[in-house]
Amino acid sequence: MAKQNLHKTFHEIIERHKGLLFKVARTYCGKEEDRQDLIQEIRIQIWKSLPKYDAHFAITTWLYRISINVAISFYRKNRKSTHFPIAEKHPTVFDPLPNDFQEKFNLLERFIVELNEMDKALIMLYLEDKSYLEISEIMGITISNVGTKMGRIKEKLKKKFLNHKEN
Amino acid sequence: MNDTDLKYLWQTVNNQIAIGQTSDKTIMDNLIKRDISHVLSSMKPIKIFTLIAGMLWVFGLGFVLIVLTINAYEQVSLYFLYSAYFQVMLTAMAVILYIFQLNTLNRIDFDKPVIILQKKIINLKISTLKVTRILMLQLPFWTTFYWSESMFKNGTLALFIIQGTVTLSFTYLAIWLYFNLTFENADKWWFKLLLNGKEWEPLMTSIGILNDLEEEVISEKD
Repeated sequence: MAKQNLHKTFHEIIERHKGLLFKVARTYCGKEEDRQDLIQEIRIQIWKSLPKYDAHFAITTWLYRISINVAISFYRKNRKSTHFPIAEKHPTVFDPLPNDFQEKFNLLERFIVELNEMDKALIMLYLEDKSYLEISEIMGITISNVGTKMGRIKEKLKKKFLNHKEN
Repeated sequence: MNDTDLKYLWQTVNNQIAIGQTSDKTIMDNLIKRDISHVLSSMKPIKIFTLIAGMLWVFGLGFVLIVLTINAYEQVSLYFLYSAYFQVMLTAMAVILYIFQLNTLNRIDFDKPVIILQKKIINLKISTLKVTRILMLQLPFWTTFYWSESMFKNGTLALFIIQGTVTLSFTYLAIWLYFNLTFENADKWWFKLLLNGKEWEPLMTSIGILNDLEEEVISEKD
């Protein structure tokens, strides 16, 4: 790819998939400034990896691999500062969300934070409606293993919701 | 809440927040320019300091030793000279290995499947233990550099016994640590005693994560 084309492709990818980057950053970072730093790191890695992009893979699979790999490394380095402020109000641009909806989301987000770094990635991909095949390609594990792990994670989340309800 | 509700909740809120995200073109252009310097900026000051200190030690002491060898070989104690040479040589090996590891870590391809890449990164981090193992081999040379010919001519039996015991113990300890300071022994008390500082914490965490990932790979094979 010529350098000019590379720049153009890079800008297009970032613009079209900014939501994906942001969601990965939200899953691993609680503070806004950390999130922005992580998104920067992800963009750098996308830029570095772009010349080697293999078109056999869906662009989202490739982007998720890079984003999650960078996020896990970032999370490990900044573990102390990645905790989520509880019940953070999320700035929304369009429709304001109903309170109970926001509350449930905060709860879900809090429970995801409590998962380990690999489970975080798996549940995020699952909630993004990725198929087990796509998840297995992103994570590098078999489809059956994805199924087993997802079962365990969902069970964990279910228990957490139940415990919260009872308390 | 069932699966569909969870997915709906996650996607609705995140999509709304994501819409507000901007990706400034100028910022990204600067990012591309910054790319080259990123390798250095991602290195922690302690790593840079260790590298500079190591290189200064190797080049500084190496220079002094070469000057002494050329100009004052007859006057200088050969025990000192050769002990110092071995010490510098081992430090140089450690520095080269350290640079190689940092370079490999910074050039890693992030578009590989998550579990495979994370295992590679952690293995590379753990391989920093090799640097420590090489440095441990210096131990006996710290007990030989002050030897002299007059010590051998005029020394008492007690001196030889003490000196011999110290040097042999340090040699045994150095070789033993070289072979045993591995992540498989990370749960041993002596390992924790030796590597318990703040700088080792990320390594210890990495070892824990690697064990988890190893389990994932084993369960994959089953």
